[in-house]
Amino acid sequence: MKLQTSVYSIVIITVFMAVLLFFINRKLRDFDPLSEPKGIVLLMIVFAKMIDNMVKGKTNDKIAEKLTPYIMTVASYIFLSNIAGLFALETPTSNLSVTLVLAAITCVLIEVYSAKTRGMKDYIKSWFEPFAPFVILNIMSKFSTLLSLSLRLFGNILSGGILMSVIYQMLGSISKMIPLIGKFNLVGVLVAPVLHFYFDLFSGVMQAFIFITLTISFIGKELPSK
Amino acid sequence: MEKALMAFAAALCVCGGCVTGIMEGKVAIQAVESIGKNPDAADKIQSMAIVGAAISETCAIYCLLVAFLIIFILGA
Repeated sequence: MKLQTSVYSIVIITVFMAVLLFFINRKLRDFDPLSEPKGIVLLMIVFAKMIDNMVKGKTNDKIAEKLTPYIMTVASYIFLSNIAGLFALETPTSNLSVTLVLAAITCVLIEVYSAKTRGMKDYIKSWFEPFAPFVILNIMSKFSTLLSLSLRLFGNILSGGILMSVIYQMLGSISKMIPLIGKFNLVGVLVAPVLHFYFDLFSGVMQAFIFITLTISFIGKELPSK
Repeated sequence: MEKALMAFAAALCVCGGCVTGIMEGKVAIQAVESIGKNPDAADKIQSMAIVGAAISETCAIYCLLVAFLIIFILGA
């Protein structure tokens, strides 16, 4: 059996993230709450506060306590995966299997919270609303959430990667016209960093943010209004 | 001949994205206008605008996906 190449980068990113989070945990435990935070501790406090405010804005405090750690994990995983292209790894999020799993977790969470707030009887009833034949449409609408969430992340990251490789080819053929050092991709070195900044960093942060925003608001939609 | 037709079909598919581009710009316009009218609601409007833009972007992503399928699976 032949493994896909993105499997290796998934393993590398997971190990890297585990080690990173272990060290951050050490730092946070040794941190004195009365002193002024700086460096990685400050960054983590700002990050946690931002996600916490986002979750609390859409759901209630009780759910936010359980949901915030998951959202933070997913956000940092998607962000690290999106910028993996900068470190010469294959981007895991440009593989549909990875994004499909992430979207499937979101879909399961939506159903679980829907069942919890309505009660089991009303939850089963909600599949047959407004009347019985609508069960087919209801099932299709659940699958469309899964499909659109996974394909959005996958399509955005994959298109960025393909665009970058096309641009590198074009720049390589331009720099072949330069005499003497034609084999070395000089134009690519000069032009590509700006494009990497947009396609890898900016779009990576943006897609991670959109994914968690949609996850939170889909879950918040199932809860009773405040 | 067949390859040329496939390339043309893929290019036509991506054309579907231009409407999405216009409409996503419209989302941004409306968001900016309403923040100008009511600056206190900026946080709510911002998150709603991002969600709306992301959902309408799905259409363009499907166009892109069909173009990829035509190029890499039919054309391979």
